[in-house]
Amino acid sequence: MALPLEVRGLSTTLFTRRGEMKAVDGLSLSVGAGETVALVGESGCGKSLSALSVMRLLPDPPARIVGGEVRLNGRDIVPLPEEGMLAIRGKEIGMIFQDPMSSLNPVATVEKQIVEVLRAHTDLGRWQARARAHELLELVGMPDAARRLDEYPHRLSGGMCQRVVIAMAIACSPSVLIADEPTTALDVTVQAQVLALLKKLQADAGMAMVFITHDLGVVAETADRVVVMYAGRKVEEATVDELFETPLHPYTAGLIGATPVPGAARAERLADIPGMVPPLNGLPQGCAFAPRCPRVMERCRQERPELTQPATGRLVACFAAERG
Amino acid sequence: MQRFEFIGRFARNRGALIGAVLILVVALMALLAPLFFPVDPLRIVGQPELWPGEDADFPLGTDSLGRDMLSMIVHGARATLLIGLFASAVATVIGVGVGATAGYFGGWIDEIAMRAAELFQTIPNLIFVLTIVVILGSTLTNIVIAIGIVSWTPIARMTRAEFLSLRDREFVQACRAMGMGDLKIIVAEILPNALPPVIVLSSLVVAGAILFESAVSFLGLGDPNVASWGRLVGDGRQLIRSSWYICAIPGVAIMITVLCLNLIGDGLNDALNPKLRDR
Amino acid sequence: MAGELASPAAPPRITRGSSRRVAALRLLRRRLIQAVPLMLGVVVINFVLIQLAPGSFLELMTAENQVSDPATIALLRTTYGLDDPVWLQLVKYIWALMRFDFGFSYRQNIPVIDAISVHLPATLLLMISSITLALAVGVAAGVVASMKVRTFWDTLVSVAAMFFFAAPSFWLGIMLIVLFSVKLGWLPVGGMATIGGTSSGAGGVLDILHHLILPTLALGLFYAAIYARVMRSSMLEVAQLDFVRTARAKGLSRNQVTISHVLRNALLPVVTILGVQMGTVLAGSVVIESVFSWPGVGSLLFDSVSSRNYPVVLGIMVLGSLVVIAANIAVDLIYMWLDPRIEIR
Repeated sequence: MALPLEVRGLSTTLFTRRGEMKAVDGLSLSVGAGETVALVGESGCGKSLSALSVMRLLPDPPARIVGGEVRLNGRDIVPLPEEGMLAIRGKEIGMIFQDPMSSLNPVATVEKQIVEVLRAHTDLGRWQARARAHELLELVGMPDAARRLDEYPHRLSGGMCQRVVIAMAIACSPSVLIADEPTTALDVTVQAQVLALLKKLQADAGMAMVFITHDLGVVAETADRVVVMYAGRKVEEATVDELFETPLHPYTAGLIGATPVPGAARAERLADIPGMVPPLNGLPQGCAFAPRCPRVMERCRQERPELTQPATGRLVACFAAERG
Repeated sequence: MQRFEFIGRFARNRGALIGAVLILVVALMALLAPLFFPVDPLRIVGQPELWPGEDADFPLGTDSLGRDMLSMIVHGARATLLIGLFASAVATVIGVGVGATAGYFGGWIDEIAMRAAELFQTIPNLIFVLTIVVILGSTLTNIVIAIGIVSWTPIARMTRAEFLSLRDREFVQACRAMGMGDLKIIVAEILPNALPPVIVLSSLVVAGAILFESAVSFLGLGDPNVASWGRLVGDGRQLIRSSWYICAIPGVAIMITVLCLNLIGDGLNDALNPKLRDR
Repeated sequence: MAGELASPAAPPRITRGSSRRVAALRLLRRRLIQAVPLMLGVVVINFVLIQLAPGSFLELMTAENQVSDPATIALLRTTYGLDDPVWLQLVKYIWALMRFDFGFSYRQNIPVIDAISVHLPATLLLMISSITLALAVGVAAGVVASMKVRTFWDTLVSVAAMFFFAAPSFWLGIMLIVLFSVKLGWLPVGGMATIGGTSSGAGGVLDILHHLILPTLALGLFYAAIYARVMRSSMLEVAQLDFVRTARAKGLSRNQVTISHVLRNALLPVVTILGVQMGTVLAGSVVIESVFSWPGVGSLLFDSVSSRNYPVVLGIMVLGSLVVIAANIAVDLIYMWLDPRIEIR
């Protein structure tokens, strides 16, 4: 049986006045039912654009998918026309966004926003949809769910807003759920609750989940496998245990070092990877990470390392790692 | 250098450039009117109600009395532009004064100033102008002041907002620490920084003032000694069945002038906030 | 009944309106309280104008100086306390206005308040129809322009908006008369009803509507131009917000999202501007009424100004301000209805 989500060689380019930029460059990714794959990297690495490419929700112009496949339950959705995508978004793929407060329409009630997705994909009547919205709110652990249906988003806390967004995303029992930094904007305690909720929902429904984050602490708790991205490309893939035990790519190692350890001073954490993600229109000739890499070699500046398979189930794109 | 960039951005805006050029033409026309048309425009020079093009001597035709339309339009430009400029100046002076005081001092002064602005926004503006003009007499000065009095509120709000954001900046605090007086800080330190957006707004107020004046003159309540464009439209009203061009031509003149001023205002605005351009 | 059977689990609809209604009442109360100093301000400005005027207060209030009846003059002297100090005169003036005593119009031989209230409905009708037209046309044009941004339609809307934003309304009115009344003969030149026509029933209403078309266009298109521009940029701005992407991720089409999510949010700035402009709409109707001989307050004002009938002029200013304040409160309530985030403590 086909995997719920299989991305092959996905490439997305930004066509701007300052030239073309490869925001996503040959990304491959597969997620099985009930599996969670974390997509990790600093901001500006192309994680969100990858997710939006899968959803076919890119701002066009300037962004356009220029190559690759996105197979959803075996069917490639890249060539589908926009009308075809309407039946897929919200039904087969759900998506959760970073800032829950701004992800909801401030002038529409919670009920209206949940019912909308139900009415778009099911033939529930008005009252049935309202009943289902109520069930969903209870499912996502919304306190006092019946009353919240008639609230407007500004009356809800960030955590409650995110529960509403989650309820909308899972309303039609999608087989794939994409969560783009779903906890970043939340308080630490609420983060834990939302993570626990997502894991539970996923386990109950057997959804495939793509979890985008820059926080490896969250990855350790949530993911089965991890894909590390840098400058639009996958640089490493491994199971979560292997990745934390023996990170192969120097960038991954840096990220793990940069993971906030409770009690560590802020400056200490951030000092781990010097430098910044290079701008997409100014990528170096060789490995994009070379300018910041502690293990950089002459070869890294000349040619770009391709993905290699040092062990079963592991992938890495690094000359230094190949050497061991 | 910065100024250069500003002008560059403005010049790249095609609409604004066209507006600026056309306004210059109108202004030159107003300035040189006595040169081209030395004869009093209100003198009867030909047959009445000649259509534009009917007689080569009167390219825009003649009005109901046989006065040269072109000459009246050219001379009317003076009155219209001058009233617009002076009224806008009055509005700017009041608006900047009130807005600067409110924004700088804050507190109850601000509260009172904003209530006053609200008050002047509440009284229907043209009714206010007509009331002032009818009670104090319809002289040019009164009309200019009256239009200024009803047009200052947007300028005051804008100035106040600028002052609010500038009054706690370091350079102002430094001046305070040096013991500089409030008035000097307001006039010499904050005002120059607050002025650019206010000037943009003033250019739009000129357009509004021209529309105002034309409405007052159209109603026949303008200064009887001044033949502005609005009055020409009003004079032609009785003849729309036979010679509607008498009304149409001065109205087009008003419209073009106001349009150009708006284009200039938009252009200045865009040049001032380049980020907003694409909206 | 059937709905309830079909969904036994549906939670009861809680009175969503009740808390909003309370908030609306609070807003109403606060605005009414704020209106008091505002009206006081209008009256004081009025009083100052009277004091500044050449000639005595008495001459102003008797209009045209044609009242020579000593008894009337004596009555006015005591009513307005002309022998009192200025501050007491002000107090008495305020007191008179509070009882809606705006003086007496000797020209029409009726109290000023009656003269104005006879003309008020026509003006309100013109204002309401113009604002409705401006909102409908402006919002629609702005939405079209924003959905077809940088296309022919977008350009067409901007050019039309620039044109109507610069055209003097009285001139536009005259040009409309030339085209539609004089040349084509489709619509009446002016007035509010056909002289000698049916004045009651459906025919009468239709007749008034027929007369209303041109003045509404002349007054409304200027505001339509403003709303089109504001609506366009507001739509484009809201379309960039996060919740629009969320709505698209739900599987709604671009048009569905525009209509059910973007539109309502984008309307908010338009409503704000509408509130600010109430005064200018009323003032604009003065000119339009004069162009179309529309029997409203504007025509009355024009007559009174021409004949120096000061009590009526001042009364119109005060009552006009009152109309604007009332309209502003209505706009505030609309805003509140559109934006649930507004909460009044």
